[in-house]
Amino acid sequence: MLVWFVYDIVEDRPRRKIGDKAIELGLQRVQKSVFLGNVEETTADELLLYSEELINPDEDSVYMFPMCQEDFKKIEILGEAFNKAMANDELKTMFL
Amino acid sequence: MNEEISITPSEVIEYMYCPRFIYFMLYLKIPQREEQRYKVQRGKEVHDRKTRINKKYLRKKIGVKEKLINQKLSSNKYNIHGVIDEILFLKDGTAASLDYKFAKDKGRLYNTYKYQAVMYSMLISDNYDIKANKAFIVYIRSKNKLKEITITKNDFKKVKKVLEEIIQIIKKGYYPKSTSYQKRCRDCCYRNICIK
Repeated sequence: MLVWFVYDIVEDRPRRKIGDKAIELGLQRVQKSVFLGNVEETTADELLLYSEELINPDEDSVYMFPMCQEDFKKIEILGEAFNKAMANDELKTMFL
Repeated sequence: MNEEISITPSEVIEYMYCPRFIYFMLYLKIPQREEQRYKVQRGKEVHDRKTRINKKYLRKKIGVKEKLINQKLSSNKYNIHGVIDEILFLKDGTAASLDYKFAKDKGRLYNTYKYQAVMYSMLISDNYDIKANKAFIVYIRSKNKLKEITITKNDFKKVKKVLEEIIQIIKKGYYPKSTSYQKRCRDCCYRNICIK
């Protein structure tokens, strides 16, 4: 499923660890604390469980928004943007 | 039935998910290494903690008068063995198994859970000579929601059939059909060696 993973984390260590985990599980970094990717449901669940263990629930927040393909096609982008095909698993390798 | 083979509920769950798991795990002896998965590790931690606390707590609402924790049972009659989280002896003279699941309640009872509960009932009735036609599941990730399962004679028949099929695979190396749910293959650890 296609998911947006967004967080706002105060402490450096958990923020870095969760960001690394998101990339390790196959998400693509869209902005500093925004990730996007097409992952299995169980993988998305794993990322949430991992985050839950590290964050401070009193001052941090973590969101995961699933998105359907129909809505993904309607995305409007301005300025320097992420690679839509890459984030949606349509492209396996990118040569820069 | 067979003398030297004894099957666990976990193996039945694997079989229900995809019969080829049994072929790869128990016939070819290629381990899954599922213990390296983060969710499995977390589940184990939470599960262990659950069985340590509330040792004396009896669920009065469902009519429990006595309970046993972490019982290791085996049955030569059915060729099965396993560890039951809790065995509850109820006021109506029957017994029931209680199993903690590190999962969310998605509103429907999966067959895998049901068959596991049926196997626990077989173990209880064979070892304690008591009727076990009920089972309970606690969904840890849904605020410890308690769900009751009713077990019928027909369920016992279905499980016995599955056990026979598993023994066929382990003893004779029969290569079973894979699951019909292709979605399950995407996350499977054997996907690179499984011939479609």
